[in-house]
Amino acid sequence: MTRVAITGIGVIAPGAVGVDAFRALLRSGKSAVADIARFDTAGLSAHKAALIREFNPREFISPMKMRRMNTLSRYGVAAARLAMIDRGSDPLTSETGVAIGTAFGPVQTSVDYMQEYVEKGAALAPPQLFAESVANAPGSHIAIENGLRGFNVTVTQRESSALAAAMYASSQIVKGNLRAALTGGVEEVNEMIFSVLDRIGALAHSNGVIDEQSRPFDRRRNGIVLGEGSAVLIIESKHASPPYAYISGFGIARDTSATISDWGVGHEAVVTAMRSAIEDAELDPSMIGAIYASANSSRRADRLEYCAIQALFGDRVPPVVATKGYFGEYAGGGALQLTAAALAIDEQTLHASPGFDDRDDDMSFDATREQRDLALDHLLVNSISAGGGIVSAVLSRKAA
Amino acid sequence: MRKPDLNVRIAVTGVGIICSIGRNKEEVWRSIVESRAGIGKLTRFPGETFPTDIAAEVTDIRIPIAKRDVKRLSRTDLLAVVAAHEAIEQANGGGKALPVDRAIVSTGTSTGGLLEGEQYYFHRIVVGRRRAAASRVLQQPTSGPSDAVARVFKLGGGVISNATACASAGAAIGMAADYLRSRHADVAIAGGSDALCRLTYSGFNVLQAVDPQPCSPFGADRKGITLGEGAAYLVLERWDDANARGAKILAEFCGYGASCDAHHPTAPAEDGRGAELAMRAALAESGAARVDYVNAHGTGTLLNDSAETKAIISAVGPTVPVSSSKSYFGHTLGAAGGVEAAVTVLSIMNQTAPPTLRLNSAAADCTLDYIPHTPRPMVMTSVLSNTFGFGGSNVSLMFKRA
Repeated sequence: MTRVAITGIGVIAPGAVGVDAFRALLRSGKSAVADIARFDTAGLSAHKAALIREFNPREFISPMKMRRMNTLSRYGVAAARLAMIDRGSDPLTSETGVAIGTAFGPVQTSVDYMQEYVEKGAALAPPQLFAESVANAPGSHIAIENGLRGFNVTVTQRESSALAAAMYASSQIVKGNLRAALTGGVEEVNEMIFSVLDRIGALAHSNGVIDEQSRPFDRRRNGIVLGEGSAVLIIESKHASPPYAYISGFGIARDTSATISDWGVGHEAVVTAMRSAIEDAELDPSMIGAIYASANSSRRADRLEYCAIQALFGDRVPPVVATKGYFGEYAGGGALQLTAAALAIDEQTLHASPGFDDRDDDMSFDATREQRDLALDHLLVNSISAGGGIVSAVLSRKAA
Repeated sequence: MRKPDLNVRIAVTGVGIICSIGRNKEEVWRSIVESRAGIGKLTRFPGETFPTDIAAEVTDIRIPIAKRDVKRLSRTDLLAVVAAHEAIEQANGGGKALPVDRAIVSTGTSTGGLLEGEQYYFHRIVVGRRRAAASRVLQQPTSGPSDAVARVFKLGGGVISNATACASAGAAIGMAADYLRSRHADVAIAGGSDALCRLTYSGFNVLQAVDPQPCSPFGADRKGITLGEGAAYLVLERWDDANARGAKILAEFCGYGASCDAHHPTAPAEDGRGAELAMRAALAESGAARVDYVNAHGTGTLLNDSAETKAIISAVGPTVPVSSSKSYFGHTLGAAGGVEAAVTVLSIMNQTAPPTLRLNSAAADCTLDYIPHTPRPMVMTSVLSNTFGFGGSNVSLMFKRA
C-alpha cells in the first residue's frame, strides 16, 4: 500500500488568504459568497459570486515579475509560495513536479487579447497577453519562481480539474520518479463566463421565494455560484513532520449518457468512481468516515451524487459535507474542496455545510449542519463534471 | 494507491490522424513517402490580415459518424472525433471489441474551442451579451475534445484533459500509459487536437516566431514556425490484454519523461537542459540501450532547434538520425505530441524515417544528421518523439518496434 503525504498547503480563497484564515472560514460555517463589484451584472439573473478580495499580490510577487503575470498566475504563484512557507523545513529540490488544475483557465486573458486584436489589429496585440493566454502559465510561473524541473502539467477537466491534477501528481510520486510535487488548482471568475453561465440558466438566482445562494443538496437549490482563487498542496513520499493527511486512492469514471453540458442520467458512473477510489486505497465502504461531496447546488448533479452515495453506502451513509456553500464551484480549480477535506483529517473535525437546510424527498441523509469533532481515519472526496467525467479520491489519517 | 507498474508493457493497437497532409494515416504516410508538405496560403480567416500569410490547414474534414452526434462540436472537437474514430476502428479491427466501459480518453489541447469562442466574442460586440448565441462559447472549454470523443464513442472509463501548451498531447499519452500501468483504466484513447484560431495565429506573429516562408527546421535560413492544425489519437492497452483480445499490436509504448525548464514563460532554456532531462527520463523508463531515430520537436525557431540539438547530443549522442515532421504539417500546437507520436508509430511500422523537408543547408548550431528531403529506410527498434511547450514543459515519448 502506498500513500502520499500532504505536507504543505497554500490558499488564496474567497474570504481567506493563507491556510489559517481558510480554517477560520470553514469553522465560521459562513458563506464567502457576496455581491459582485468586479463587473456589471445588470440585466442578468445572478449577481453574486465567491470572489477573492483581500489578496494583495505585491506581498508575494515583485512588481517586475507581476507585470508578466495574469490574475491566475498571481493566485497560483502566491498559493505556491504560501504552501512552501507552510511546509517549512529543508527546501524542496529541483526534482519536484507541478500538476495544476483549472476549469476555465485564462478566459479573461483571451478576452483581453481579442479586445486588443479588434482595436489594434492582429499584428499589434500585446505579446505579453499572448504568453499568458495558455492555460499552463500559472504552473509555469510556479516552476520558474521555485526552480522546479520535474513534470509540469495543467489539467483542465472542468469541475474535476484539481482532483484529476492531484491524481496525476500522486501517481508520479508513487511511481518513484520524484519525491515531491505541487498540485492543486487556480480559477478566476470573469464577466464572460459569468454571463454565459447565467444565460444558460446554470447560476443560482433569486426567484421571489429564495435569495441567491449556493445550496448544495438543499431541495430549493436552483443553480451554482461561481468561486475562484487557488490552493496549492505539496505532496511527498517522505516527510519530516506529521502531514495534514495522506492521499490514499483515486477512482475515475464517466457517465456515458452525459451530453456536452450536463452530467448524464444515471448515477452508476459516480458509484464506480467512488468504489474504485476506495478499492485503490485498499479499503471498503464501511471504513469511510465522511464524504466531502461534489454537490454544487445544481439540480441534477446534486441528485446524481446523493443517489450514488445511497446506492454505494445503503443505510450506512457516513456524514456528508458539502463545502461549496462556503466558496462556490470551481474555487481554486476545485482544489479548495480537496483542501477542506485535508483539513478535516488534520483537525479531526467535520465541517458544516452552509446553504443546506432541507433535503429532497428521495434523499435519505442530511448534509452536515454544524461543525463537530469526529475521529476520521478515511474520507472520500468526489468531483462530478458536466460532460460526465468523475474523479473520486480517498484521504487518510495514517501512512498505512 | 496502486502505482504505475513499469513491468506492465503497453501496446499501441490503433492510430488515427488528421492534419494538413492527410485525413487518415494512409494519406499521411503517402504524403510523407512522397515528400509532399501540406503548407499553403492561410484561408481560415478571410478578410483578416496578419504579418505572415501561410499555414498548414486541414481543408477537408469528413465526418465519419452520424451528423446528429457531432452537433455543437467545435472544430477542435471534430478533428478529435475524426482521429479517434480511425484509431478505435483499427483497434477493433481484429479480435474482440475494446472494453469501452473501462476506456479512458486523455487529450491534450492548447486552445480547445477558442475558435468558436472568438466567434462568440465578435458576435457579442455586435449584439451584446444578452443576445449573443451562448452555444458557441460552450464549446470553448479545453475539456471539449476528451468529452466529445468519450460521448461519441460511449467510453465510460473517464476523461482527462490537459492544456499544457504545445506539450499537451505528449503529456496526455504519458499520463494515459501510467493509468493503464496502475490499472486505473483498461484502455486509453490518448492524443491531442487543436484547430487554428485567431489568437494563436496572431499571437505567434506578434512574438515574431512565425517564418514568412514554409518553416525550415534546423536550417541555416530558419526564421520560425509554420502554424498548423490537426488531431491524432493512439489506442493504448496493456500488452497482455491486447493479446488476449486478439488485437494486432502496431508498436510498443515503452516509456516517457516529463520535465520543466523552469526558465522562461515562452522561450526554451538555451542549453536544452529541460529537454535533455525529459529524454534521459524516457530512456531510463524504457530501459532501451540505444535510440535509432528521434522525431524532434523541431519547430524551426532559432532557439528551439539549437537547444534541442544540444539536448539530443547530450542525452542520446551526436550520431543519431533526427528529423522534424513539422516541415510537412507545421506546428499543430497542443496536438503536436499526438500527431508526431502517430507519425513515429507509422515510421516504426514502415521502418522508414520521415525526412526534414526544405533543409538545403543546416545551421551552424545544428550539427546532427537531420535526414534532409527524402525518407530514409532504416532499421528502427527504439525511437524517441519529443514535444516541448510554452512554460518550458517538455515531454519525450519512447516507442519500440512490436
